[in-house]
Amino acid sequence: MPQLQIYFLRLLLFVFLQAFIFNQLEISPLIHIMVVPLYIFLLPFDRSVISLLFIALILGIGVDAASNTFGLHTSALLLFAYLRPFVFKFFSPRDGYDPLKSPSIFDMGNRWFISSFSVLLIIHHSWFFILEAFSFNEAWLVLQKSILSVGISFVVCVILQTIFIKRT
Amino acid sequence: MQNLIAFIRRLRFLIVFLLFQFFALSMYVTYMSTPKSSYFTTASVITGSLFEIRHSISQHFQLEENNEQLQEENIELRKSSSLFLYNSSFSTLHTQDSIYAQQYDYIAGTIINSTTTKRNNFFTLNVGEIQGVEKGMGVFSSNGVVGIIHNTSPHYSVVKSVLTKNINIDVLLTDVGAHGMLKWDGEDPRIGKVTGISNDIAIPIGSKLITRGGSGIFPKGIDVGFVKAIKPIEGEASWHIDLEFTESYATLENIYIVKNLFLNEFNNIQN
Repeated sequence: MPQLQIYFLRLLLFVFLQAFIFNQLEISPLIHIMVVPLYIFLLPFDRSVISLLFIALILGIGVDAASNTFGLHTSALLLFAYLRPFVFKFFSPRDGYDPLKSPSIFDMGNRWFISSFSVLLIIHHSWFFILEAFSFNEAWLVLQKSILSVGISFVVCVILQTIFIKRT
Repeated sequence: MQNLIAFIRRLRFLIVFLLFQFFALSMYVTYMSTPKSSYFTTASVITGSLFEIRHSISQHFQLEENNEQLQEENIELRKSSSLFLYNSSFSTLHTQDSIYAQQYDYIAGTIINSTTTKRNNFFTLNVGEIQGVEKGMGVFSSNGVVGIIHNTSPHYSVVKSVLTKNINIDVLLTDVGAHGMLKWDGEDPRIGKVTGISNDIAIPIGSKLITRGGSGIFPKGIDVGFVKAIKPIEGEASWHIDLEFTESYATLENIYIVKNLFLNEFNNIQN
């Protein structure tokens, strides 16, 4: 099963990228780059919600263990995985999804990727930062953080796809 | 019964989602607030050793600066050592040992992984239970206070640094003698906050803040920072104080862990 091995290696790669590269990029307190949601997003279209949730749990615990967040990443990734089918349904093309294609920017086109991935990424980042702050006093900081981080994470996720995914 | 099964089948995704979400959030709430054993931190063997490899490469970038800092501290210590002081009264020379009992023990360590721009910043140390590190011990550096040990493993430990939400170290304003609680608002790793100092006390800008030693974690007198700005909070009888940390946490590497030998006695009498 080469397909399964590729997805497993990619999981390890994403945990490594998040923990050892993007967590260590200390640009400003307002910028927290998170790339792990891209892994959940790139899983095949025909994955069931239950398996998405299981993968999100494993990936989340891996990232939490390496960045001392004790379950924050897990919580945000679970929300991302749970909402992915709803967002995909909303943005679905007229004749449905082709199960042979993958939800990457190359297979599905710029317009589809930008709209569906940015909606999910905004929800993921806002959920993460709201839980992390958990007080109304920091509402302004959370808003600034969410806007800046979503923008930069999105650009990084597009760059990662051009590097690691073979164009078909 | 049939309806119930159909109903559960329809909501099975939501049920699994809520179950996992509950697991993640309860883990976050319990381990964030109190020092407890968790396998899912950078003190674990896999992540700890990976960070140690990374540190063994990156440590050389700051070697010179760290050496100078340690040398300066050595000079200060040598100056205060009894070998360098002339004792004017010989009668007290031999009684010194019975006057002073050792209250604090120190363990030296190195930070192998740290962040400073996240909302809650934890540092990983290369010392652990084998060296005698326990949860709840204080951590400081030659320039100032660093944090409290949050989690330990045999070879590594994780420090909850002063750059976290609810660190609550008790600090003392040296010029006026008032004490308050140290906080951090997540905006700037060089600036901390102090709450709980009554606004009928006049506070000069630039006065020094040290640890109060009221909870038995830190000895009294470790540097924390200098008062940078004060402003009144509307509807409250206390100042909102901004302080500038004496330590720059982004480049920090060598630290000391404090073990209070009288901690049990201290806690017993307080209860």
